[in-house]
Formats: sequence, C-alpha cells, structure tokens
Amino acid sequence: METLAFYSYKGGVGRSLLLANAARFLASLGKGVVALDFDFEAPGLHYKLGHAAHRESRLEGGAVPYLVATAREATSPPPLEEHMIQVPVPPGSGGWLRLMPAGPAPDRAYWAALKQLGEQVRFDDPSGQGLMPLLDLHARIREELKPDYLLIDARTGVTELGGLATTVLADTVVCMFVANQESLDGTLMVAEALKAAPRLKAQRPIRIVPVLARTTSDLPVEGPFAEGVKRLLELAAPADKKETRLFELPHDEVHGASPLDKAYLELFEELAAKPGTVK
Amino acid sequence: MSTDLLNTLVTSAIWRAEQLEERVGSASLAWAEVSSLEEELAKALPASQPEGRIARRGAVRAALKAGDFARAQALVERYAAEKEAIPALRKALHQLLEEDARTLAERFHHAAKAVDDARGLARWLQEGGAFGLAA
Repeated sequence: METLAFYSYKGGVGRSLLLANAARFLASLGKGVVALDFDFEAPGLHYKLGHAAHRESRLEGGAVPYLVATAREATSPPPLEEHMIQVPVPPGSGGWLRLMPAGPAPDRAYWAALKQLGEQVRFDDPSGQGLMPLLDLHARIREELKPDYLLIDARTGVTELGGLATTVLADTVVCMFVANQESLDGTLMVAEALKAAPRLKAQRPIRIVPVLARTTSDLPVEGPFAEGVKRLLELAAPADKKETRLFELPHDEVHGASPLDKAYLELFEELAAKPGTVK
Repeated sequence: MSTDLLNTLVTSAIWRAEQLEERVGSASLAWAEVSSLEEELAKALPASQPEGRIARRGAVRAALKAGDFARAQALVERYAAEKEAIPALRKALHQLLEEDARTLAERFHHAAKAVDDARGLARWLQEGGAFGLAA
C-alpha cells in the first residue's frame, strides 16, 4: 500500500478536488483505492466523492467516530466497513474506491464526536496512547482492505493531525501551492520540516511532489518567487537527483479545459508510479 | 513526615484508588496521589532496603495507572541510576514499562510493532509541536 497525503499550507488551492480526481483515476486504472478525510475541522471529501451515496446511506460513521470508538475500546474496534462508503467506479475497470469520510458532517453529531475526540486523544501523550489509534487505523486499512493506494486529505496549515498525516503516515506528500509568495513560503517551510521529521522504522524516506495550482502563463522567472520554487524543487528531489519537476495545474479560465486535463494526467502518472518502479 | 505515617497514607490512598476504579472506572488522580506518596517513601528509604525497593516499584506502577507515562519513565531512569539499586530492582522497574508497552500493543494489535515508534513520535510532537516546527 502506497500512502499519498495531499497537503496545502493555505486553503482554496483545490487539494480535496485533486485528491478526489486522483482517487477516481487510480480506481479506473484497476487499482484498489481508499480515500481518507483527515480534514476534521472542515471535512468535505464526501461531497466530492459520492455525496449522494452518503446521504442515501445515512452514514453515521467516519474517521472521527471510528477513532473515538477505537480509543475507548480498542480490544474490539468497530468494523471498518461501518465507517466507509463504497464509491462507484467505471464498470469493467476492475478497480474499487472506498471513502472513509471524516464523519457525518455537517450534522451536529459530527461536531460532538470531534469534541469527544479532542477530549480523549492527545497525540503528544508520551505513553503513545494518543498516536496508537492513528497508527492502528493505518495498519488496519493496509491489512484488511489491502488497497494499492491510500489517499489522505491532510488538513491545511500547521496542525498536529496534518503534521502526522504527512510526516508519519505518508510515503508521498503532494504539496500544493498557488503562485504567490505567502503560499510558497509556507510550503517551503513545511517541505523542510517534512525532510527533517522522524519516520517509522520500516518507512523509506519521504517523497515530496510539488504541485503549483491555478498557474498562469506569466509566472516570474526571477526574483524571490522563482528562487523559492527552485529551493522547493531541490528539497523535493530524490537522493540521486539535484531537483525534481514541478507539476503545474493551469487555471481553466486562462488555458481552457484541455491543458488542465493534460496536466492532471501527467501528475496522476507520477503519483501512480511507485518509487523504484519503471514507468 | 515519618515513614510510618507515609505508609499509612499510601495504604489508604491505594484503597481509595481501587474503590474509585471499581465504582467509577477511572481513578487517574487517585493513582497520581499514590505515586507521589510512594515517591516520598522512596526518598526516605534507600534502595538497598526491601521497603525502599517496594516504594520505588509502587511509585512507578501508580504513575502508569495514573496514565502518566512521562513521570513513570522519569522515575525509572532516576531509580535505576541510584548507586544502591540492585540489578533485580533495575530489571523490575524496566519490566513495568515493558508491561505497559505490551498492554498497548495488545489493544492496538494492527500496529503492535509500532509502540516504540509511537512513543518516540509523541515525544517529538511534545517537544516540537506540529511538523516539529516549534523545536
């Protein structure tokens, strides 16, 4: 199982939408995919992946209620299926897609569960009691569902859960930003932190895939922004290279739909390629 | 405070903690009190004496029952470093921490091998905050 976390320092860059599209794309290639919404304070992946299914099935579960239940009585954790939605994929593709939403947001029950989670689970508890439910969920998805890919929507900004989803759970972090200095500087700071963060014993070094969203044709080629992008590409480079490529998702209104489709496909090809494999 | 008085206080504190645990389910504060009293006893009784060793084990065990792993770990490090600590005491103290790790591994059996990792990461998070940026 390859775990991809989708992260952006600032919101509104199209992170959740990119994750939803990547999930559908990988499933349409015949892959088994689990999408996990860790954007607990503003969950919305269930709107982008099977909102209708969510409403019809009146799902009450999700990552937050699951973690609350697991932290309380981990010896008999609830079945994963009770907390997931099966998202339809193109017939004949051979793939599958399951979504673990954050929970039944925006129902009030969801916010009550989130409050409970905050009271019960402290991720920095030195006994490990707070982190184990999270590591256990990750391992359980790998063991029981055996997906090819786990895609995590990591919360925007600098938060404990966003940090854990990217530094601890992810093999690859898709770092999205837009063409302004504020967005880039925050992304650079987080990319540096990702490279320096501790990893689990069995994990390989983290892979960073930089994605510039809503790009336009008049990007500066010199000055602080251009220098920042260069630094980001150097940070994201694998050990055997000086720098990596920047994936640009063009703005629809400027380029029309077709270049965006092409850019999406190029990026998905990169994400689908597990490091060490020949494309 | 005399060791006799401390012993009496420890005995009644343990009784209260056990009663609370049985009736309410959670007795973290009561176990924290037990751990503090056992620590006071340990200060008064050297590790070379059997009573001193019992107090040291009691302080660690009660800290774990209180859910205060950091305190338990600090006590183990301190007691294990004492000159008078015999090898059997050092072993028993470390076993208490190992037993706690085993319990955690059993509760979260899918990630059973990651208990040490989880504890290391929790310390990293506690020291540096999200992404380790505050370190």
